[in-house]
Amino acid sequence: MADLDFTLTATPLLGGAKHQIGENQIVERDDLALVSVAIPLGGDAAVAKALKSGWGLTVPEPTVSSVAQDIRAIRTGPDQLILVFPHTTPDARAFVQAKIGEAGYTTDQTDVWVVLEISGSDTLAALERLCPLDVARFAKGGSARTVMEHMGAMIVHLSGDRFLLLSASSSAQSFLHAVELSYRYVTG
Amino acid sequence: MTQSHRIDGGQIDRSRSLKFEWNGKKMAGHPGDTLASALIANGVQLVGRSFKYHRPRGIFSAGSEEPNALVQLRKGAAQEPNTRATTVELFEGLAATSQNHRGSLEWDLMAANDLLARFLSAGFYYKTFMWPKAFWEKLYEPVIRASAGLGNLSGQADPDSYDHGYLHCDLLIIGAGPAGLAAALAAGRSGARVILADEDFVMGGRLNAETHEVDGQPGADWAAAAIAELSAMDNVRLMTRTTVYGSYDHGIYGALERVTDHLADAAGKPRQVLWRLYTQRALLTAGATERSIGFGNNDRPGIMLAGAVRAYVNRFGAAPGRRVAVFTNNEDGLRTAEDLKAKGIEVAAVVDARKGEYVLNTVGRRGLKSITLSTGPTIPIDCLAVSGGWSPNVHLTCHHRGRPVWRDDIAGFVPGEGLPPGMTVAGAANGAMTLAAALNKAHEAGASLASALGAKGNAGDAPTGSDENFDATPFWYVADSKPRAWVDLQNDVTSKDVKQSHQEGFRAVEHLKRYTTLGMATDQGKTSNILGLAIMAEASGKTIPETGTTIFRPPYNPVAVGAFAGRARGKEFRPTRLTPSHHWAKENGADFVETGMWLRAQWFKRSGEKGWRDSVDREAAAVRKSVGICDVTTLGKIDIQGRDAAEFLNRIYSNPFLKLPVGKVRYGLMLREDGVAYDDGTTARLTETHFVMTTTTANAVTVFRNMEFARQCLWPDLDVHLISTTDGWAQFAVAGPNSRALLQKVVDDLDLSNDAFPFMACTECTVFGGTPARLFRISFSGELAYEVAVPARYGDAMMRGLMAAGEEFDAVPYGTEALGVLRIEKGHAAGNELNGQTSAQNLGLGGMVSQKKDAIGTKLSTRPEMNRDDDLRLVGFRPKDKSILLTAGAHFLNPGDPEDMAHDQGWMTSVAYSPELGHSVGLGYLKQGSERMGETVRAYSPVRNQDILVEVCSVHHIDPEGVRQRG
Repeated sequence: MADLDFTLTATPLLGGAKHQIGENQIVERDDLALVSVAIPLGGDAAVAKALKSGWGLTVPEPTVSSVAQDIRAIRTGPDQLILVFPHTTPDARAFVQAKIGEAGYTTDQTDVWVVLEISGSDTLAALERLCPLDVARFAKGGSARTVMEHMGAMIVHLSGDRFLLLSASSSAQSFLHAVELSYRYVTG
Repeated sequence: MTQSHRIDGGQIDRSRSLKFEWNGKKMAGHPGDTLASALIANGVQLVGRSFKYHRPRGIFSAGSEEPNALVQLRKGAAQEPNTRATTVELFEGLAATSQNHRGSLEWDLMAANDLLARFLSAGFYYKTFMWPKAFWEKLYEPVIRASAGLGNLSGQADPDSYDHGYLHCDLLIIGAGPAGLAAALAAGRSGARVILADEDFVMGGRLNAETHEVDGQPGADWAAAAIAELSAMDNVRLMTRTTVYGSYDHGIYGALERVTDHLADAAGKPRQVLWRLYTQRALLTAGATERSIGFGNNDRPGIMLAGAVRAYVNRFGAAPGRRVAVFTNNEDGLRTAEDLKAKGIEVAAVVDARKGEYVLNTVGRRGLKSITLSTGPTIPIDCLAVSGGWSPNVHLTCHHRGRPVWRDDIAGFVPGEGLPPGMTVAGAANGAMTLAAALNKAHEAGASLASALGAKGNAGDAPTGSDENFDATPFWYVADSKPRAWVDLQNDVTSKDVKQSHQEGFRAVEHLKRYTTLGMATDQGKTSNILGLAIMAEASGKTIPETGTTIFRPPYNPVAVGAFAGRARGKEFRPTRLTPSHHWAKENGADFVETGMWLRAQWFKRSGEKGWRDSVDREAAAVRKSVGICDVTTLGKIDIQGRDAAEFLNRIYSNPFLKLPVGKVRYGLMLREDGVAYDDGTTARLTETHFVMTTTTANAVTVFRNMEFARQCLWPDLDVHLISTTDGWAQFAVAGPNSRALLQKVVDDLDLSNDAFPFMACTECTVFGGTPARLFRISFSGELAYEVAVPARYGDAMMRGLMAAGEEFDAVPYGTEALGVLRIEKGHAAGNELNGQTSAQNLGLGGMVSQKKDAIGTKLSTRPEMNRDDDLRLVGFRPKDKSILLTAGAHFLNPGDPEDMAHDQGWMTSVAYSPELGHSVGLGYLKQGSERMGETVRAYSPVRNQDILVEVCSVHHIDPEGVRQRG
């Protein structure tokens, strides 16, 4: 045991940002954990089974995430997916590994990403300035990896005009600025 | 000034008046005016001076093809030169000035050039400024530069903002004239997802400028109804003020939307948006552009394209003249006379080239006064409407190297083979030159494209338009005219210049363009290209199709560089990456340096420190004396898992990794395929199937990408998986003799003794009572050292915790400069040494390229040239005179040798002042360096004026046996 009376407190990347721009909201979702699951060579069936038994989740398609209860799976590569779920303690990987056992290799990705939830009536217009993909045609739950203002990103369609945007945590401030500016440029 | 030339009718809002300034004079116009139409309404004819001869020029067209009426718009930093008055929408407070004159517009001193015209013909630069040679830089170039160009830049940073955007559609329709509207109605009604873009601020194209009827109603009314119907469709997006300027690969089009250019105040919104349009299909309905006829002094203010005269009269309610003549070679030109008469404007003459009548010459310096006809009479007029026929706007069809083909019946080029994939052309752009034909063809194209894209709705009927007579008889220029006849108004190219180009052997069309500048600059020869070609064809005794045409490239119209840059300006040129301890560092006097996109603390200034060296020396010394803490989060971290992860690493690194035990870290060297060393770092084995690799900051992405390629493409049979965790872990180097004591206070229940946790050990653990962490015993400084990582969200707290725990040891934070000092003292290679040219042998790490296995680069690293005994070796250097500071980049010479490359012995890669040793130390590559310990060589740096003697020594300036890091 460390002999200091000192415990570490987590600092949200953007201070738990909540921004209102016109009718629209940008919220930092620092309550979500992200854990990647790599599918071992030849282990597709085992991962599918583990996701099913663990949460009732199906293996997501490359363009559409799957959801069960409050956990979402996003396909991020041929043999890789990322699970997103509410979880604030730094043991998300252990939580997932316990559920899926030996079926997949897990890596905690919570701190790798900044997660913004954006919503509001100008959201599609703002995304036209930010995201090269045809988000207006996304199915519910649609997901993709892309690039926004030179930053690697992921986008997930939650419902209506609500989306999750993910990008690298180290450039979280630049990312938030890009998202904010996109709203400001299209909001009346 | 009153609007002396304002007449009835048009699509302007007379209920509101807009005040504007032209060359400081106050004038007024109406919403719906362009600057050009407002100037015409105010009786202004002279608006600018020509490029070369500084001839007085007036408004020539009513669209983006304008070659003459280029003005400077707005004031101060926002001033924009070379803006076409014909496309500028009038707004309250608009301020514009004329350009390209010395003195006033009316009395331009540079007009003297016109008197020297015979010396300034095509190619005069090439002939005139040949000698004497010395005059070029001193005299000719400064003079030419001073007089070249058109408008002036403000010299200040552009205060406006620009943006980029992305749009998607089934069908992009380019141009919203009659054809574009008909196609959009058909496709939109069918249910296709349509974008209809037009560069004008009102859709309708020529329908707004002509008196044609569509479906039994005035064309402009039909257009307004069509726009209203399209606006109501959810599947159709109408984009006015939007120029589709280029066609790119995969159905992508570039478009520039002028979002706030027409507003006095942009209210914080971007001025322009550069759109990338992703399309399934594109339909080009860009219409046609009218061209002129060459005749003597055909460039005077008041001489305009006939279609423009109709546009000003019919659409803008502005009369370009009180007494107008028409010179035409086609039926369409005759409409001008009818339209003018209908507006009560006197038509003094209709000169029809088809009847053998020509205009020979004109008079009127600052405005047209009269024309002289081939039949004899001189007719006083103030405006001449000229029509030499119409050229289909094929520009975008050429962007994938399509070549237009000539059609004799319309005397124009139409789209040929090689259209951009997915593009269809309809209407006048495709040679359907009458309204009825254009509407029909475009409707058909819109309906069939929508249907091909899977839209199932009813496209409705094609609109019916008047099928007017389009009888074009080619007539290019008046051969009997003695005075100069202008072909290209923007570049002052005359018919004589074109003939001279032919005489002097510049006969290929592309040569003609370069030699005479025909078709260059902002208008890209929209009104002049065909005329120039026709004259060249005649001079060479060939037909126009035999002569060919220049090819069109993007952009169709000028695009501001600011629009291409978008938001990427100044600090937003690229994203900024911050380390987890950034805020703590900022609070503690850090000075930051950009390393790639990262901001890293390079030193922490303490009170009393006068310069950076004071801070860096203190930090480096403190690490060697007690303990220091450095944020090393920026190093690339890659999580590697899988049954074959060890085998994978064994193939990636040149040194063995197969048998790295769990709980151990190993230094690894990576080679490129060609055997050159490109990255180094450490990899830790956390479990049998789980490794964590660190890379250099600079190569984090490259290494990941190369490994992903190897995994997916070279060895797909291996079970190995990669994911970046660089941003996920806040990692801190804790270095110095007291690092163990410090960390023992931080980690939970872990024996850090040398036996329990020796050099190159690693483990997962917890710190500060339960926060998950990873601990590695590795050393970049050569001291007893560790790197400890926590999830990034705890990075700020961890830095504060480490500093608190280190207080009793006088722990210091240290930055990248001290980090550099420590690694140079220890002799560790970094970016300066791994410069993309160095082999493992050069680095003195030849032993790390295992010959017992195959890894990337192993084979080619054995090439003899990379293993020469006399080749460069990395060694250490110290100055003979210890008071002298070494300089990086200095070249080594043997004492007494001349200072030339033939005697070059290598170069100094890194230097630092070592507070530990009390003098400067260096690393560098020296020929046969490892065999020259103790020798003295010269470190010669002519750029820094330094030539000193240095002694060759081990790269390990401190602790060569590595006792400290293993202690």
